[in-house]
Amino acid sequence: MLWSLPPAGGGPATVTATARMDYVRPLRRSNGMMISVRDLRKQFGSTTAVDGLSFEVQRGEVVGFLGPNGAGKTTTIRVLTCFHPASSGDVRVAGFDVRTQPLEVRKNIGYLPENVPLYPDLRVEEYLRYRAALKGVPRKQRQSNVERAMERAGVLDVRNKLVGHVSRGYRQRTGLADAMVANPPILILDEPTSGLDPNQRRRIKALVKELAQEHTILFSSHILAEVQDVSSRILVIHRGRMRADGTADQLVAQSTERALMVEAHAPAAALQQALVALPFLRGATAEDVGDGIARLRAQVDPLGDPRDATMAALAQRGIVVRELRLDMPTLEEFFYRVTEGADRAEEGVA
Amino acid sequence: MKGAMVTLQKELMSYFYSPVSYLIAVLFYLWRGFEVFGAVQMFSSFKLDQDLFPSACYGLTSTFFMVLLVPGVLTMRCFAEERRSGSIEMLMTAPVRDVEVVLGKWLAAVAFYSLLWMPTVVLLWALSLPPFLGTDLAFGPVVSAYVGMFLLSSMLLAFGCFASSLTDNLLLAAISAILFNLGLLKLPDLLRQELGESAKGYYMEQLLSKLDVMGNFAQWWARGLVDTSQIWFYAGGTMFFLFLTTLSFSARRVA
Repeated sequence: MLWSLPPAGGGPATVTATARMDYVRPLRRSNGMMISVRDLRKQFGSTTAVDGLSFEVQRGEVVGFLGPNGAGKTTTIRVLTCFHPASSGDVRVAGFDVRTQPLEVRKNIGYLPENVPLYPDLRVEEYLRYRAALKGVPRKQRQSNVERAMERAGVLDVRNKLVGHVSRGYRQRTGLADAMVANPPILILDEPTSGLDPNQRRRIKALVKELAQEHTILFSSHILAEVQDVSSRILVIHRGRMRADGTADQLVAQSTERALMVEAHAPAAALQQALVALPFLRGATAEDVGDGIARLRAQVDPLGDPRDATMAALAQRGIVVRELRLDMPTLEEFFYRVTEGADRAEEGVA
Repeated sequence: MKGAMVTLQKELMSYFYSPVSYLIAVLFYLWRGFEVFGAVQMFSSFKLDQDLFPSACYGLTSTFFMVLLVPGVLTMRCFAEERRSGSIEMLMTAPVRDVEVVLGKWLAAVAFYSLLWMPTVVLLWALSLPPFLGTDLAFGPVVSAYVGMFLLSSMLLAFGCFASSLTDNLLLAAISAILFNLGLLKLPDLLRQELGESAKGYYMEQLLSKLDVMGNFAQWWARGLVDTSQIWFYAGGTMFFLFLTTLSFSARRVA
């Protein structure tokens, strides 16, 4: 099942990004389309890692690339960064073809690989100066770019430490500083928060939000809360295929799995009888939970708010309500439904 | 070629940060010092021809150490380490051409290897002072011997880079390079013995004589003779292995 929605038009990130675009390296031939992937396929031997993936990322967007482990996120990202060639399909980054213009593509991206492989024998600042030079930052600007990247990534206090000796969080941030040191218009971050503690994760999230003001960002993750917080749009991929594309709210709203929970001072049978006639409740089941209290759960149609009508029906029968709650679906449920849930449904059909 | 220069700088820095480099240097200088001292004593006690001194130095075991073992050990890290740690992903997604990366890494190896030889110049100068040999060493053979060593090591280091680009195992890279160097040192003699008469043909003779690198040192370079066909042989070999290295490095993108 494919949940296809129009891309979110003009979130806050888009507005600020255009306002400060002068900071970013000038682009050619991109027409505001920073990443465009059409029918991308990537095979490793007999295994298909990416199977006909298509999506686009507009200038200024922050796109969360979501999927379970092994969904094909890293493979897609490696095709975008010209590390792996695509088996087939048309992939353009900043208007350049990854197949025929890989150098131009690489000039326009800052990339943070998943495990942040850095050179352990260099000092943090040394490493960043080397990377800035390698990425073609002119000698005069190099030091200021490195200073700025270190400051933004928060690695100034470890600048003289060996990369091999700093903690995982600092390594991750050194990798981020590396990604932004040449001020590329596009940042591609592969699981930027994996392996970090909650505080470090929060800092990285804040940094990504800040970077979103000047860069187009594609970042992958399997932590939903993170993606929901940071990104203006979410792509969900599973088994190498696109499963959903839209803002977090849009995706959640699409989900039909809303549930109503009622707890009342009445026998289970009476509670069920009181509500069974309501047309918008489906599959209502009540059970006694002791102390003369019964609990009822029912599925609710996606549209409208069922709470007032339910309350009225209960009041009519003189049932004293202890709690009435509408459980909103979460992105997590949606994620489960379009990934593993979808697999189970398919297997069930087959 | 800016990418090559940046890579060269970084790699040179890594050589100076690596304890292996210092271990090689200490081992080589100690060994060399004792051996050269022994050679000087022999030359002065038997009043041998000073012009033969450089070629005698090429016969020293420490020279074989530098030709046989050091190139492989210096270059084993070049690509194998990048693959092992995954930093090759950072390198290959940076806006530099593959050939620039290969050239930079090889140049750094050549520069560091040449630096390792430099103190032996001082050794030779000190030897020309009165308490030792007491006369000036012939300038020509010394220079041509260093040029020859530079050319040969360029090719061996290029092969070392190639061996390193084939694997993510440092030991395997080093051993492959050492085996190649050993082959160069031993193969010509073995082939001559095995082939017997058939090795006497013109092309075979030419090939075997070019491959016999240490023999060439004794006969040509260390005696102040420069053979241009040997220059071409080493330069061609270097380019060939650098080409293979670039191919092997770029092939990572296909996998």
